[in-house]
Amino acid sequence: MALIKVLDPTARRMDDDASPGPDAGALAGKRIGFRLDQIWRCWDWISESWAEKMRNAGAEVSFWRSTNRSGEEGEAQNQSLQAWLATIDIAVVGLANCGSCTGWTIRDAIAAANAGVATTAIATRNFEDFAHELAARGGRSGLRVHVLPYPLNELSREEVDPVAQAYFAGLLEVMGGSLTAEEKAA
Amino acid sequence: MSIHLIKPSNRKTTAPKTLVSRDCGPAGCEIDWLTSRRVAADDDIEAFTSFSLEQGWGDGLPLIPPTDARVRMILSENDRYPDELIARMPDSSECTVEKIVINAVMAGAPADSLELIIAAIEAIAEPDFELYGVNATTAPVYPGFIVNGPIRDALHIPYSDGCAGGVATRANAIGRAIRLIMRNVAGQVAGVTTQTTFGSPGRLGGLLMGEWEEKSPWAPLAERRAGIVGNAVTAFSTMGTMNILDTTSSGAHAFLEMIGKSVSYAGANCYSPSMEYAEMTIGINPICADIIAKELPTIEDVQEILWNCAAVPADWFQALHRDQLAAQGRIRSDGRVYATPEPKDMILFVCGGLGGLHALGLHSFGSSLAQTRQIATATPASAVQAAE
Repeated sequence: MALIKVLDPTARRMDDDASPGPDAGALAGKRIGFRLDQIWRCWDWISESWAEKMRNAGAEVSFWRSTNRSGEEGEAQNQSLQAWLATIDIAVVGLANCGSCTGWTIRDAIAAANAGVATTAIATRNFEDFAHELAARGGRSGLRVHVLPYPLNELSREEVDPVAQAYFAGLLEVMGGSLTAEEKAA
Repeated sequence: MSIHLIKPSNRKTTAPKTLVSRDCGPAGCEIDWLTSRRVAADDDIEAFTSFSLEQGWGDGLPLIPPTDARVRMILSENDRYPDELIARMPDSSECTVEKIVINAVMAGAPADSLELIIAAIEAIAEPDFELYGVNATTAPVYPGFIVNGPIRDALHIPYSDGCAGGVATRANAIGRAIRLIMRNVAGQVAGVTTQTTFGSPGRLGGLLMGEWEEKSPWAPLAERRAGIVGNAVTAFSTMGTMNILDTTSSGAHAFLEMIGKSVSYAGANCYSPSMEYAEMTIGINPICADIIAKELPTIEDVQEILWNCAAVPADWFQALHRDQLAAQGRIRSDGRVYATPEPKDMILFVCGGLGGLHALGLHSFGSSLAQTRQIATATPASAVQAAE
């Protein structure tokens, strides 16, 4: 059979920053921002729990909620996100728990990482690989991703709270964060 | 209560337009302007189709090998530079004319469809189309396209019987070319870059149809949406095609009530808590359109009545769902939740066979807003060169 030359039909961005970005370091005195959405109540509960621990460790915590990403509201959202990123040192970005919300979680996490903020994206188990794939395609293959169990949003508050407790130490590890002895005691 | 109204933004894609020579025809040229990687493959459709799957290029259907000669042939019959950047796709990959033509060759799309494909890609790359979410989602959503103008007949784009699928026409290859671009350039690959739980047949061959303007009592869709007279394409996101049967109604209001109530169901994406608004595209068959227009002369009247019917009582939703909708201010003073924020968000067009009796529901993803683009008229490069 004769050989021919064919042209590659694919295109993909070639640049990549494999760095995970800066470590979060000691939490005391840091400004920590949680990126929320409006679909996953479990993520609201977990972020509340983690935020309380971080406040107890001496951090200042703020929240930014992603809503609509098209039209004038989308335009305003982008501006609001950029303004918020300028006010924080550490970003905890979630929740990658579906297709489009993983997409927007990773997109916003990359925006945070590219702004020089110590950033960790939060994904549930079934969207972990997808989160890494999108991070690589977004030019940040080294993006930090902390993984929670799946399914999660289907659970009650009483079932989700222990998950928040159990996965906090893992969050600190992934984000390169640390607590002083006093903070741990608190 | 604060209903989130759909207000298109001023954001536009700002892809730079680079220029090179157009001296390349089917026979090639001294300087090689095609920059894509060349790969050795067997000169056989079956072998190449298998090869394309190994490479991650294919969709499983037979593909035509995109050789230099075939790619140059399409370029020579148009008036585009191969390295012209048409759009940046969700991961910032560059969708150039060259990549579009390579995928068009593989799908078997005719050369004179290039400007339509380019306009379609430009439309879905607009920020308000929100291709980022459309690509990634667990939903089965895909871009659909409605074509207006004489190009419908020139390219045999169906707008009567079977317009949403099944007509034997090379327009199917155009739809498939767009799908291959979605896969190979925009990165919509199931299980890799899209988490679609079930997918859809529309993710293989696409959905490309025309509006039957000659049978429509209203102005063509592109003219109503964007003031474009002539060749244009409207891109919209759709979860699939939904059929609405009505063999019983009599009169405009009855038909519209049936359509409105049918497209409005609790599990539709327009009621997703992840997005506070949606559009709804509906194809109305020519017989029904004629009946409606006799009672309701303006399309705005039709949209208003349809919109009023496309709503569900809030208490149809379970508490957790209802709470989220209430938190978003979507439960109105009449106790109902509407499929779209305003009547204008019901996107109506006329299509389908003269058998009538059915309407075509095309539910949007939500945040993805329909985009209408003019289709440029191509002048073959050979004619341009002759003139120069």
